[in-house]
Amino acid sequence: MDSSQSKLKRRQETVIYFRRYWTLYLLLLAPMVYLVVFKYIPIAYVQIAFKKYSIVNSIWEQPWAANHGMEYFIKAFANRDFLFALRNTITLNLLDLLVGFPAPIILAIVLNELRFKKLKSLTQTIAYMPHFLSWIIIAGLALQVFAPSSGLLNVLFAKAGLPTIPFLNEPGHWIATYVSLGVWQSIGWNTIIFLAAITAINPELYEAAAMDGAGRMKRIWHVTLPGIRSTIIVMLIIRLGYILGSEFDRPYALGNALVNNVSSVIATFVYNYGIRGLQFSLTTAVGLFQSVVGVIFLLAADRLAKKYGERGII
Amino acid sequence: MKKLLSMLLCLLLVAGLAYAADDELVNGKFKKTKSIVVEIYDRANDGGSKPEDNFYTNYIKAGMLRDHNVAVTFKRVPRWTEVQVMNNLLAANDAPDVCVTYSYPTILTYANMGGVVDMAPYLSKYKKELPNLFSVLGDKNIYWDKDPKAGTLWAIEALLFQNNRTSVFVREDWLKKLNLKEPKNTKEFEAMLQAFKKNAPALLGKDADKMVPFSMSVDVGWRADILATSFVPDAITDKEMWIRGFDDRRLLWPNYKEGIRVLNKWYNDGLIWKDFPLYKMGDKTEDNLIKAGYVGAFIHNWDIPYRDGDNSYIAQLRKSAGPDAGYIAIECFPNDSGKYRKYLSAPIDRKVFFPSTNKEPVASLLYLDWLSKFENRNFLQIGEPGVTHEPQADGSVKTIAAKGDKIMNSAMNIDYTIVINGLDMGDAAKTAKSLAMGYAGIEKRYIERSYAIQRNQSRVTANFNVGAVASEEGMGPVEQEKRDNLLTQAVVAKTSDFDSVWDKGLKSILDSGVQAIIDERTAKYAQFYK
Repeated sequence: MDSSQSKLKRRQETVIYFRRYWTLYLLLLAPMVYLVVFKYIPIAYVQIAFKKYSIVNSIWEQPWAANHGMEYFIKAFANRDFLFALRNTITLNLLDLLVGFPAPIILAIVLNELRFKKLKSLTQTIAYMPHFLSWIIIAGLALQVFAPSSGLLNVLFAKAGLPTIPFLNEPGHWIATYVSLGVWQSIGWNTIIFLAAITAINPELYEAAAMDGAGRMKRIWHVTLPGIRSTIIVMLIIRLGYILGSEFDRPYALGNALVNNVSSVIATFVYNYGIRGLQFSLTTAVGLFQSVVGVIFLLAADRLAKKYGERGII
Repeated sequence: MKKLLSMLLCLLLVAGLAYAADDELVNGKFKKTKSIVVEIYDRANDGGSKPEDNFYTNYIKAGMLRDHNVAVTFKRVPRWTEVQVMNNLLAANDAPDVCVTYSYPTILTYANMGGVVDMAPYLSKYKKELPNLFSVLGDKNIYWDKDPKAGTLWAIEALLFQNNRTSVFVREDWLKKLNLKEPKNTKEFEAMLQAFKKNAPALLGKDADKMVPFSMSVDVGWRADILATSFVPDAITDKEMWIRGFDDRRLLWPNYKEGIRVLNKWYNDGLIWKDFPLYKMGDKTEDNLIKAGYVGAFIHNWDIPYRDGDNSYIAQLRKSAGPDAGYIAIECFPNDSGKYRKYLSAPIDRKVFFPSTNKEPVASLLYLDWLSKFENRNFLQIGEPGVTHEPQADGSVKTIAAKGDKIMNSAMNIDYTIVINGLDMGDAAKTAKSLAMGYAGIEKRYIERSYAIQRNQSRVTANFNVGAVASEEGMGPVEQEKRDNLLTQAVVAKTSDFDSVWDKGLKSILDSGVQAIIDERTAKYAQFYK
């Protein structure tokens, strides 16, 4: 068989392959287009962070910012509001990670241990329903329940002769409310992936452990947890990538004028300075900084995971 | 040779004129039809008509075509997100030719990016074609924002015809029930609030625990306006007002803090609605408390209890608290020289500008002139007799709530009359009368009282045009947010913490760039107004 023949054969194989599978590629096209249009093309506009932005000129014609294009980064780090927002973003995200990350794992294990199938699925459904509520609605509910004088809980406390609790109007309490509402909203939804991982554990392992006399706690510790360890680590790496990322609607909707010094985060900073204050270059610089730190955390966590023998995500 | 040259020049000139002639106006009419696109606010009213296509837009379109041979199209922009939408339109080269916004700093930011037409040369060249515009706005409003050095003019300031601000409102029926006189000073006002609180069971029965003697929102600066500025020394100069005037709620004026200290005391005495800090701007909870009849007094826009016909505070209040209930405006906060001073805003309103994509600045100016013509703007403000108003014998008009295609999407069509805000009947007496009858279903005396209070011992803040103040760029919304936070925190602070909360908060506002604005304004003032 000479080379031209093999070439021809290969080409025929390709043609046959595409004839058979073209629909799959067609399906792939839609997400590809989405990624290119909404995720890759906008990357070109990152240069706004280094330029003096003009709304009328094309991005390629705009002049570079002062200080070798770093003007807006310098401005951001000299801005006390930004530094506060940065501090708050890190604090709230760390607390979220600390409390919000283990919560669904624990719930998943508990659900797994339940022997009543109906109760299990009922609990699961109820737990993941809040995921479908927008933060604006949750903030409205929170006001009805936690407001100092008209909120349901405080009305009950007052009737019982107990002191009222400033759930929403005192910074320390507000943080606790913020984190707890976050857990409440996302716990059920995040459980799904861990439950799926638990289902994949070979039941023989449980049987073997039981034979060896392992109790329920021992089985959880030596079978369930190791069985879902790689899932936990992948989820943790993804979470760490968002350490500086910040949602907008949650702090914005729950925040108020009394707790602003703990509730203003990078996303609300960008909204105030960029969208309302028209300082696009400054806020693009902030956004870029946020992404770069996110990528660093992601890579570092991945490296660390691999070092300890996990597969990582990259 | 010289002859030849001069002949050539002459020829060129004639050719130039001939060329221009095609573009030129004959009796205010273009030879060739021009077309322009005009921004119109979309308020998304329930039961409203299409803002860009209705009875009134047709009136404008027909008039512009007839008088100036200009075809007008309207482009709607949502009222509450106008700046964001405008950003997108400008960036997409799709902005209307005639744009309107309340925020001058926004226009300035666009202008610094090269996005706005300098109107100055057109206004001076076509002044004689724009008699109505100049007669309504005057040089004062037209050149309000002209840069004193460069001579550039990025926007024209519309005329705020009634520049009223805030009034104090109290429950008229509660005063009667408790046999109280209208308070005449801050002390008596506080005593009245205490009386409301003490007599809650008599006033509200089983809802006594819902009593709110004085109501408030997170826009503390607005909702304390007339109280807080009564602590500003009467001797404050125009210069000082302006230099410390970046914050439109007057936070930076001398002694403003003392007004907030009073609110802090009231809050700690349980006279102010306790939960107000938790509700965002625009939330309706407070309105509902007022409408339900739990609120004794508040400070707000001079006509707020009377607006919105059947949905007004008063109309709703009467449904829940009986037909005698009502909010009446009172004078009760004298300043250090015993005057009931009201610091009214300058007579400027929206700002009209032409984005640099506007290829028809002359036709656009003629559009503004057409709107300024009395018969046109008056028709837009009052509409058709028998449909939107009832003509009275003395020439004034009484407003009727219209339905269908002739409904006005904004009160007195202010969204169309972009050169003027406020009813103008061409004669002060007729205007005042029509205004008092401009609130469907509300007794005249309420409006007349609040209106008279606005006119009594008031002072209009002066303007000093020094061109752009660079340190102000982008600071507006940032400062606003910090101000609202400071004021709210100061009102609810423990009385012993008030000073530290205030001083720390104010310092942080000044450090964030506001001190730089004060310094730059001081320097610019010295430069231009020695």
